[in-house]
Amino acid sequence: MLLPLLGIIIGIVLGLLLPLQIPVTYAPYMSIAVLAALDSVFGGMRAKLEDNFESDIFISGFFGNAFLAAGLAYIGDRLDVPIYLAAIFAFGIRLFQNFAAMRRHFLTYLRKKSDIGEEK
Amino acid sequence: MKKSTKGQYALTLVSLILGLMLATQFKNVQKVGGNVSVQRTQELTEYIKKLESDNENLLNQINEYKDIISSYENTSQDETLLNELIRTKSQAGLMSMEGPGVVITVDNLLISGWDGNQQVFQSVHYDDLLRLINELNAAGAEAIAINNERVISTTEIRNAGDYIVINTNRHSTPFEIKAIGNPDNLEAALKLLGGVVDNLSQILDISIKTEERITIPQYEGTINYRFAQPLQENS
Repeated sequence: MLLPLLGIIIGIVLGLLLPLQIPVTYAPYMSIAVLAALDSVFGGMRAKLEDNFESDIFISGFFGNAFLAAGLAYIGDRLDVPIYLAAIFAFGIRLFQNFAAMRRHFLTYLRKKSDIGEEK
Repeated sequence: MKKSTKGQYALTLVSLILGLMLATQFKNVQKVGGNVSVQRTQELTEYIKKLESDNENLLNQINEYKDIISSYENTSQDETLLNELIRTKSQAGLMSMEGPGVVITVDNLLISGWDGNQQVFQSVHYDDLLRLINELNAAGAEAIAINNERVISTTEIRNAGDYIVINTNRHSTPFEIKAIGNPDNLEAALKLLGGVVDNLSQILDISIKTEERITIPQYEGTINYRFAQPLQENS
């Protein structure tokens, strides 16, 4: 569980140091893509904890969701339909659900551990 | 176990990419400023409203004080003192003036674009106005106002975004410059071949007309000297 966290930190540091730029016109789509990516990573962590993690599904989901969300937001902007709202809702809800599942997992894990400790 | 470590690597790699995206997005938001939230907009609108009403109150206060000052002046019996006061106030631009002069209107020159639409050729720059004022002063103008902002010794004419700030107030086109002086002299000085108006009329829409009676308002602000002191001559 520590390795992904390390990955995020290294990524942030690299991103701040490297002169990466995206055009201002595409910034809104980037923000949707970031949300989708965040959701994917949370989903991946949750799957990892529940032991049904599959890396091909995870990676395809990460890139697929990010591009789909950004692409839909772009098309929505062209057609004047606020599709990005759908992306925000969908990913936002899933983010919270994933987090809730992870929290439950951790708590049951801790409870079990303390039960074992008492039995000993 | 092997599958688990492989998954760990995938997760780490994707986290790295996520971190990169987060950082890029963060930098972008820092640079552009991000979206202004509705709440913040409302807050600022409220603030502007408050300041506007404050401004109005202060303006009322200024007018009250001005009334008091003028009532003091009127009660004064000393004829010479009163005349001297009027003379100095006129020179400082603190009195409304009237007399013959010229009225110059400066506006954007519209030209037909390639698609037949009217386009602004070039917007009015602050230095265009300064050049006109300069020419008027040189030709002996005794009182000048732009859009009813009296031009005095401390008057600034400068660009601020889409506006031109004159006496700390924002103005935009069309500009109306009124100048009191010998109308023929002023007009002749402006219309000099190769002179200011001749040059500017190629990029701006300028019209000049002489009038028998122009009124020019007084300077509305206050003149405070915080640093400058009259020199005390020791004789």
